[in-house]
Order: sequence, then C-alpha cells, then structure tokens
Amino acid sequence: MIVGIHEIYILKDYILAIIISILIAYALKIPLLPKKPYRFSFQKSALFPTPIFAIGFMAFAQVLNINLPYEGVIAIIVGVFTAFFVKYIFDFLFPLPPESNLGDDTNE
Amino acid sequence: MNEIIGIIICTILAWLNFVLVDTYFGLPEQAGVKGAETVGESIEKRGGDIAGGFFQGNILCSPDASAGTLITSIGYLLLGIRGAFIAAMLIYIGNRLCADPGYAGTVGSLTMTVILFLGSFVGLTPEMFIVGIVIAITTIQGLDHKSSSKILGKIANVFNRHA
Repeated sequence: MIVGIHEIYILKDYILAIIISILIAYALKIPLLPKKPYRFSFQKSALFPTPIFAIGFMAFAQVLNINLPYEGVIAIIVGVFTAFFVKYIFDFLFPLPPESNLGDDTNE
Repeated sequence: MNEIIGIIICTILAWLNFVLVDTYFGLPEQAGVKGAETVGESIEKRGGDIAGGFFQGNILCSPDASAGTLITSIGYLLLGIRGAFIAAMLIYIGNRLCADPGYAGTVGSLTMTVILFLGSFVGLTPEMFIVGIVIAITTIQGLDHKSSSKILGKIANVFNRHA
C-alpha cells in the first residue's frame, strides 16, 4: 500500500484533536506530566494517555465515516470528549493495579 | 521490492524497534507482575541473564512494543494510518488491563506507525512487517532463551537499564 498525500492531509484532524484534548484536560486539572519516575508511573496526565485516546477516537470517527457540515468540527468534538473521558470515566475503566502487582517488591 | 529482501529488512527494522523501545522504557529493569518475575528467575537459573529474563517475562505478560509492532502492522494493513492509531489506543487499553503503565507498548506502536509510513515510500508493505515481527519475536522468545537473554542484557547495559 502506497500512502499518498491524502493520508498526510487527514492528519490535520488528528493534530487538532490532540491539541484540544491536551488543553481541555489541563484545564480540567489533570496534571501535565505523570509522577516521577515517568517510566513506572500509572498516574494519568494531560500528555499521556490523553493524546492516545484522542487519536484513537478520531480514527474511529473517520473509519465510521462520521461527517459534520463544517470541516474540523468532528476533531473539536473528539478532543473535548477525550478530555472529559480521561477526567471522569478513565478511572472506572482502568483502575490502578493492586499494590502487590506493582513490581516494587520483585527485586528484593 | 523483492519479497524475501523486503521481509529481511522488515525483520531487522521490527527487531530494532521493539527491542530498543522496550529496553528504553525499562522492561529489563524490573518485573512488572509476578509472572514476569517467575519467567526471569527461571531463565536466570538456566544460565541466562536476569535483565533479559525480565524483558522476556514482561513482553510475555503484557502487550509491550513487540505486540505494538505486530498489531500496528495489522491495523495499517487493514485501515491505513487510521488502523495504526486505533491499534495504538487498543494497545494502551491492553497494557492497562495487564497492570502495565503502557508507555512501552504505545510508544512502540507510534514509532512503528512512522516506520510503516516511511517504509511505504520504498515498497515495504505492512504484510512484510507482519512476517518480519513474527520472525523477530521468534528470535527472542522462541529459539534459545539463554543466549537471547544475554544479548538483551548487553543491550540493557548500554541503555543503563540493567536489573
């Protein structure tokens, strides 16, 4: 499959969705970065995993061919929805793992 | 591009992608869950390297960059770049369900999306990458745990991520 200019063109919706989701997530008082050390932190933040959900939801919207009269409106809606999703629904769907499974004691 | 040459190139790219991303995000440093610890200690008992053992245990127990590379290639084959983005989100969800923070899998998936995108310009197809990553994972998990864990341990040392 050769990817043409069309595939690059659709990326603008993803970039818009990512920017809006990060800004609104930050406005909803989700921290910008997780706790240190970053590699082992389970804390949600505006920079991770909010953009991952934004591109995922945006891709779903495009695959399902959801179109609105104005260009870019769907990206804005996805961005706003993602920020609220991460703020209010994320913790119910993906609770923190039990302490015993965190791996802190496995090197002892 | 000739299929066999393409598969060889894709195997090398996929191997480097998942091993480097997984190592950078600390898979050899510690076992995320009990299963990974058991695998790591078992490999060490048989003469392998503990860091390589933790690495193998971790990629066995949760979808890290190895699964990210494979699922992203499949998504790209089915739906183009959109499929790769959906794959990234699904891998993150899979990571969280497996008690894993999800950085390695998600970043591996996104770097693979870039590799797939660039590869499409020189004739490397997603099918070649799917075959390539299966071969790449087999070299780590399927041939000889002792020697592959030692190689992974050496790479972990270079990245300062040894257990």
